[in-house]
Amino acid sequence: MSEHSKLTRRGLFRGVGTAALVSGCVKRTGTDEPGAAAVVSDTTAPAQIGPDPVPLRLTLNGQSQEVSVEPRTTLLQALRIDLDTTGPKVVCDRGSCSACLVLVDGLPRNSCMMLAHDVAGREVTTVEGLSQGEELSALQAAFVRHDALQCGFCTSGMLVSCAALLRRHPRGQALTAEAVQDAISGNLCRCGTYPHVVAAVLDAADQTARQAAGNAIDGKAGA
Amino acid sequence: MADVKHTLSLGFGASIVKKKVSLPATEARPWDATSELKVVGTEVPRIDGHLKVSGQAKYTFDVAVPDMLWAAVLRSPHPAARLDSIDTSEAAKQPGVRAVIEVAKRGERLLFAGQDVAAVAAKRPEQARDALAKIRVKYETQPYVVETMEATGERAPVVHQAPVKERRTEGDEPGAGGGGSLRGNVRPLPESARGNVTQGLAQSDVVHEGVYTTPVQTHSALETHGLLVRWDSRKSMTVWCSTQSIFSVRDEMAEVFGLEPRNVHVITEYLGGGFGAKFGASAPGSRLGFIAGQLAREAKAPVKLMCDRHEEHVCTGNRPDSHQTVTLGGRRGRLHAIEVKSYGTAGIGTGAGVGRNAIGIYTRCPNVRVRAHDVFTNGGPGTAMRAPGHPQGAFALELAIDELAAKMKADPLALRLAHDEHPVRRYQMQEGAKAFGWEEARERSAQGRERQARIRRGVGMAASIWGDFGRAKAARATASVMRDGTIEIKNGVQDIGGGIPTVLAQIGAEVFRRPLSTVVVRYGDSEYGSSVGSGGSQTTSSVTPAVRNACEQARGELTEVAAAQLKVAVKDVRWDDEGTAHGGGKSLTFAQVCKKIDGEAIVATATRPATYGHEPMAFPGGPMVQIAGVQMAEVEVDTWTGVVRVPRVLAVHDCGRVMNPLTLRSQVNGGVILGTSYALMEQRVLDNDLGRMLNPNLESYKILGARDTPKIEVLLTEVYAGNNNTGAVGIGEPSTIPTAAAIACALFDALGVPVRSLPLTPDRVLTALGKVPAPGSNKATLARRRIR
Repeated sequence: MSEHSKLTRRGLFRGVGTAALVSGCVKRTGTDEPGAAAVVSDTTAPAQIGPDPVPLRLTLNGQSQEVSVEPRTTLLQALRIDLDTTGPKVVCDRGSCSACLVLVDGLPRNSCMMLAHDVAGREVTTVEGLSQGEELSALQAAFVRHDALQCGFCTSGMLVSCAALLRRHPRGQALTAEAVQDAISGNLCRCGTYPHVVAAVLDAADQTARQAAGNAIDGKAGA
Repeated sequence: MADVKHTLSLGFGASIVKKKVSLPATEARPWDATSELKVVGTEVPRIDGHLKVSGQAKYTFDVAVPDMLWAAVLRSPHPAARLDSIDTSEAAKQPGVRAVIEVAKRGERLLFAGQDVAAVAAKRPEQARDALAKIRVKYETQPYVVETMEATGERAPVVHQAPVKERRTEGDEPGAGGGGSLRGNVRPLPESARGNVTQGLAQSDVVHEGVYTTPVQTHSALETHGLLVRWDSRKSMTVWCSTQSIFSVRDEMAEVFGLEPRNVHVITEYLGGGFGAKFGASAPGSRLGFIAGQLAREAKAPVKLMCDRHEEHVCTGNRPDSHQTVTLGGRRGRLHAIEVKSYGTAGIGTGAGVGRNAIGIYTRCPNVRVRAHDVFTNGGPGTAMRAPGHPQGAFALELAIDELAAKMKADPLALRLAHDEHPVRRYQMQEGAKAFGWEEARERSAQGRERQARIRRGVGMAASIWGDFGRAKAARATASVMRDGTIEIKNGVQDIGGGIPTVLAQIGAEVFRRPLSTVVVRYGDSEYGSSVGSGGSQTTSSVTPAVRNACEQARGELTEVAAAQLKVAVKDVRWDDEGTAHGGGKSLTFAQVCKKIDGEAIVATATRPATYGHEPMAFPGGPMVQIAGVQMAEVEVDTWTGVVRVPRVLAVHDCGRVMNPLTLRSQVNGGVILGTSYALMEQRVLDNDLGRMLNPNLESYKILGARDTPKIEVLLTEVYAGNNNTGAVGIGEPSTIPTAAAIACALFDALGVPVRSLPLTPDRVLTALGKVPAPGSNKATLARRRIR
């Protein structure tokens, strides 16, 4: 039997896929970023890595982490199985529900649609990274206050979408319910938390704006 | 102990009446309309909220134990086949594989695409799935049928060759089920009737008949079915399971593996949704419990088996479809006869009945007959799904009533009011109509129809019926007062997402008049005392009264401690709202009293008696409260594109005494959103040529998103039913029953023509408007031929 007739996903990676995949992700890391000393350092040669686990380094919720995973392992699996970070959930495993959403270099990404090696040298923030130790962020606290969760399985992804929205939303501009609905339009929830999520995000945005205004006044008074 | 007599103030709104009840001495005096509660009934954010928003809550899918293996299941690709041979030897040699088992036997008939064939346990989930590809199976394919009405035909391949055993769970409505003998693929369900429907229809001056269809809906809980099994000895195991019934998991694993139930420890700390499909260790269409347990035994290591999304759609249950012929008779402006004849498929399973609403809601209609049938097809088994049978039945009957009302030139609201005897539901209809602006809205839609406007609005309403199925002695709760003043409540109930632990903490805080922060709730574990499954909307009404009794008993003992310290008689001790005990001119703070507890804690265990009241109206067929609900919906439809939107829904519901309005609103929102999703987009598509599901994912099996969600207003009509000592009744299921029906009625109001099939997709709207030919019509067939 020829090698091709029993081609498997692993075989495909071994033969042609890995080099392209890995060179792709290494190129993007750059060399001057912290934690970017990628273990796969040869960015020009078609590196033959895998199919066995290969080490990679990333910054996860502010901590530098090294982990060894197969090239085919998704970021979601690596986070959950190898890095014991189970906030991101497995729901559809193909990018249609956003329960696995994480921030990669500050942008929301479905971690089920990325390979772990794609984030070598990059910064990943999961729902666990949204709070400061035991202290919840204003957004998380608003979720609890407004009961923006029921079973809680979509909540991690909802929070990541909403945190990204609050970060990109221009300061001083009022947030609308429609903007929040847009931001979470990819987050599926089966319990029906959408109305309370919208209320929570508007409340958190309002609170942050009022705090900022308060700080500005304090600042003036102090100056 | 002799019973104790109480006089209770019961009822709703302005109609409060006094009723006498005689209750066991162990039963706390029921909270009634006169009870002034401080914590119960207030908006308390859920006590585990901070864990869920910070990713710390560990669901079954998240739990990992040392040396754990991952399992994967090989499933039949054929809708009907005989298993000829199976060879797992290659799979066993694959990297990481530690055990392989055959689940189906040689010669066995496999009845749907997705049925268990074999399973693998390996070190990584990817390895387990890879190894499945190395299992060699030979199937002899057989004729199959996947379309419901086709399966009723004489020549259809017969799915079950022997009588079918009903699979019933705590999710099924009590009293439902049972059935006659199987003929071909059709099994009649028990008929329900009153009066004489044939005569009633003959006497009617207006008759309306229509065929209404609903699709198969999948539960699509976000956390898939699955469990982790660890054998702790040859005779005992620990099971972490994504289940809505910890104790049915325990019993199933004990039965399957010949263990004592007490030696099966089941843990469900957090649960990512269930909606009726997660009773037992196994899924309705997959022996997950056996597979995980057997693999763990053979591999001598803990095994975790979690379904993927495809499996979740095809073999873990669904809401059966329905094909309902509804015939209504109107006589002298009144509803004179209701006949419902329905066929529905739960695939290879049972439970496609509908029609409780037809017999139970419009009780002033003298002639009613409901005849429902299960139809077997080669599809994954259906199972209970949030109010089994009700949304389907409501859709058909309520839309038919609106069509009859149109023929009779009657207002649909007035027609309903004239035939519904339930005082709460009548109140809800009237109050709801005011709050919603019913009359003005109906006026506007009539004008839109008149003008033949492109974008039209319409409003519709529908009613729900459900019962208080809270059970006696099913939940045993423990309340402890610790020497440090902490109150601990224990019960093995799981939280499906409704927030039961928070409500239990509220009960503790109420009884002891202590801050919520001093109450600890331990739940989600079979070691914490027996409890109910989260089904039948019975959790709160089964568990809170047991917890209250346990708390009251512990408080009684604590009062004895206080009396001894204060040197007064027990009856002379008075607790104030700060939890301070007074007596004999002295005072002791709660902390001071607790320090004097002998040993570590006062511990009291209690349960609840059978439901003892049903003010103001009983559920048909049982002395339990009938829960009323009415919803009104507004739709906006584009008559050029056929796209339907739902801008707003008003949900008016009764759930007895409200425990926590915040989490309650969440549940009602959830019911309305699920119902809107069912109305507008959800449908399982089985390919007739392959016998397989074409959309087993979440991109083509559509569920409602944030942008599609209506503005939901919730009106609660609190009822003091005198059913148990907290007065709680359920809301999870009632809140989803009328939504799709109200939306369909609203669409009829907007268009002036009905769309009698769910989901209300653009093609169906355009067909109803006569803008495109109906599928299966001569014109449509010709058009399709041209395309081919």
